[in-house]
Amino acid sequence: MKKIINKPEDFVDEFVEGILLAHPDLVKTPGDDLRVLVRADAPLTGKVGIVTGGGSGHLPLFKGYVGKGLCSGVAIGNVFSSPSSDQIFEATKAVDGGAGVLYLYGNYGGDVFNFDLAGDLAELEGIETRTVLGRDDVASQPKDRRLDRRGVAGIFFAYKAAGAAAERGDSLDQVAAVAEDVVDHTATMGVGLAPTILPTTGRPSFELPDGEMEIGIGIHGEPGSRRGPLETADEIADHVVGALLEDLGLGEGARVAVLVNGLGATPLEELYLLYRRTHQILAERGIEIVRPYVGEYATSLEMAGASISLLELDDARLQLLDAPALSPFFQER
Amino acid sequence: MQGTNLNEHIRGSLEILVESADELRDLDQALGDGDLGITITAGSHAVVAELEKLSPTATPTEIARTCAKAFASANPSTMAALVAGALLNGSRTWEGKDEIGLAEATEFVTAAASSISQRGKSEVGDKTILDGIAAVAEALRTSSDSTEATDAAVRAAGRAVEETAGLQSRRGRASWLQERSIGLPDPGATAFQRLVEAWSRVSAATH
Repeated sequence: MKKIINKPEDFVDEFVEGILLAHPDLVKTPGDDLRVLVRADAPLTGKVGIVTGGGSGHLPLFKGYVGKGLCSGVAIGNVFSSPSSDQIFEATKAVDGGAGVLYLYGNYGGDVFNFDLAGDLAELEGIETRTVLGRDDVASQPKDRRLDRRGVAGIFFAYKAAGAAAERGDSLDQVAAVAEDVVDHTATMGVGLAPTILPTTGRPSFELPDGEMEIGIGIHGEPGSRRGPLETADEIADHVVGALLEDLGLGEGARVAVLVNGLGATPLEELYLLYRRTHQILAERGIEIVRPYVGEYATSLEMAGASISLLELDDARLQLLDAPALSPFFQER
Repeated sequence: MQGTNLNEHIRGSLEILVESADELRDLDQALGDGDLGITITAGSHAVVAELEKLSPTATPTEIARTCAKAFASANPSTMAALVAGALLNGSRTWEGKDEIGLAEATEFVTAAASSISQRGKSEVGDKTILDGIAAVAEALRTSSDSTEATDAAVRAAGRAVEETAGLQSRRGRASWLQERSIGLPDPGATAFQRLVEAWSRVSAATH
């Protein structure tokens, strides 16, 4: 295992220190705990706060999306491990501006337990909370069990829309409804080509024979819907986009935002190959790409592979997507 | 039982409970990831430490909430989050009450069971701690005084653990073992049994 690290056990705290040193104008820690980060101007009186979180190892998820027009605070755990309820609660208190706090994070068991408990603690302090779970990974469960799906890169769209709604002064119920609506119209599928090596254990996150790919892989290396020989970029895009269109029930005349996301070790060139084919498929079907996003939005350390997400757009969602945002990773002017 | 007595009773029970740490660790190694012994030990010590700091005028609700926060802070595990959520839900039934008797204990344990079932998406018979808590809630509900209730709770908790041994685990890591989990008692339900037994021993000593 070759990695640019110091002590493996300092990996998480040290990358957070790096973020704080690079972006002191955008983010801060409300207390002593480096695992809790909030936007530099938090709390915003009268506005809804949005707290997200989860395991480390997914940058720019989660810490890269704290800022204006996005999330207000975040709590992260060790690599691929949930933050504690205390850390989530601390983030909650630090972003509460009196209008309540939305918990918006991916659907993973450990995270759900800890966010629920943090919500209990917040309630005791008089802070109202709502929860919306990212669950866009279509390969993780069939459509009739969509509420049990895992959350992956498509949560970016929910952050963007809910963050914009909170920024313009929507109520807690309205911000939660915006997030839920976007989650309901987002679908993602990924392919994994090679695992990541976990810094603390030195072990790969999954095993994959040479020349094979895992279709529908999760962002912790969870198995997908099937494993098969590596295909060309066009074939991968055909499979993935076909599955997403079917899941969302999209046809001619639809408008979408597309996110082609790298999982950590896949070069931007390859992502643009996937985008190229995605654009062709959608054009052939009479579906308009209104907003394209290509890059690393949710990774799995240095896992090789990519995911494609589609968000079905209407005027309301598009307006929120285009609203200004400023965070360490993402900006919209 | 008023605040001060409740505080002392909980601390006394937890000091006995930690003696079962090795037993719980071994049971959990067979079915889960083996951290239950640590969860119970670290959680109990944290709760005792926080309760010692609490004012003698603290209400039963405040005492229960102190227990919940301390237990969760001591462990980032799923079990700790579930137990803390259950204690907080129980604490809501004690709002405005200064005196805890059989009726209040019954409400508390029933609310705790409902929280575990909802948050853990589990039902009685899934072979979890819920099996023990639900059995004890029922035993309390059908008892007519505190002494009878304590004995009935100990019997119910023990019987629930015996019954879990015959079941297949359906929740958490243990469910991955599928039919291999049959024959082994559930570690969570056993932990709850040991707590109820400890509670009963402290009751016997103070009467």
